[in-house]
Amino acid sequence: MTAAGPSVFLLMVNGQVESAQFPEYDDLYCKYCFVYGQDWAPTAGLEEGISQITSKSQDVRRALVWNFPIDVTFKSTNPYGWPQIVLSVYGPDVFGNDVVRGYGAVHVPFSPGRHKRTIPMFVPESTSKLQKFTSWFMGRRPEYTDPKVVAQGEGREEQPS
Amino acid sequence: MAEVHVIGQIMGATGFSESSLFCKWGVHTGAAWKLLSGVREGQTQVDTPQVGDMAYWSHPIDLHFATKGLQGWPRLHLQVWSQDSFGRCQLAGYGFCHVPSSPGTHQLDCPTWRPLGSWREQLARAFVGGGPQLLHGDAIYSGADRYRLHTAAGGIVRLELGLLLRHFDRYGVEC
Repeated sequence: MTAAGPSVFLLMVNGQVESAQFPEYDDLYCKYCFVYGQDWAPTAGLEEGISQITSKSQDVRRALVWNFPIDVTFKSTNPYGWPQIVLSVYGPDVFGNDVVRGYGAVHVPFSPGRHKRTIPMFVPESTSKLQKFTSWFMGRRPEYTDPKVVAQGEGREEQPS
Repeated sequence: MAEVHVIGQIMGATGFSESSLFCKWGVHTGAAWKLLSGVREGQTQVDTPQVGDMAYWSHPIDLHFATKGLQGWPRLHLQVWSQDSFGRCQLAGYGFCHVPSSPGTHQLDCPTWRPLGSWREQLARAFVGGGPQLLHGDAIYSGADRYRLHTAAGGIVRLELGLLLRHFDRYGVEC
């Protein structure tokens, strides 16, 4: 009796970060990266990217469009750790510093075909009023050192947003 | 070899501030793909909407690809230009979308963007026309050097694409 070896499957993700709605902010760019479990590995394509800076259109829609391609193929033996795409959006504040405007994450869809996902974005909040004022003034907002924590469930109780 | 048929139309464009629009389109694929029949790129006619704001082209697309691998799944890239009464052309937006990967008919809305220059160039574009353009078209469908650009949104291009797949199950691909 021979034991069957683990079977490998591939997941190909093709798509784009299409656009965003941020009523209060303008001149934004976004970074995407993938978070996946130990049994997963990217085999082709780019697993991270930085988009262009986009400004709101002058017409009534006030749309922020990136149309930024995502093209990556993963190899795995186990659905546990299914990849999530983590998006971080940055923009300039009133002093011209680049500050984070939102983080969000969503799992790559499980079924083949066309999918559209709208992701709510959140920003970590300072815990004290003094820290809030200092960070506004200095342009150093609370930021995650590694945006990949957004994709994890552990430790979320400690983070107000 | 697995085969893919892409059959559909570039319906038209809406949401652009300029009228009298035309579209230059092309399909980019990876190295494993081969075009068996159809034209890989083209240009639509110039359309000026008489009623409403949507410019209709109804430009047919019929492509037949054969492929040895999934990498480099076809991407349709678009450049929307406007033509004024003097015959000068001005860029209205760049956009791209992946050809769908599941069989059937799909309605696609492709958003577009155009490069913004300095405030001087934006002022000149408003009065005289012209404006910055990309030197190399591959920034439209590739994310590699996008971080250098500063862009603004253009309108939306509407497409209706139908997809037929053949022999994909032989290679263990679920679509």
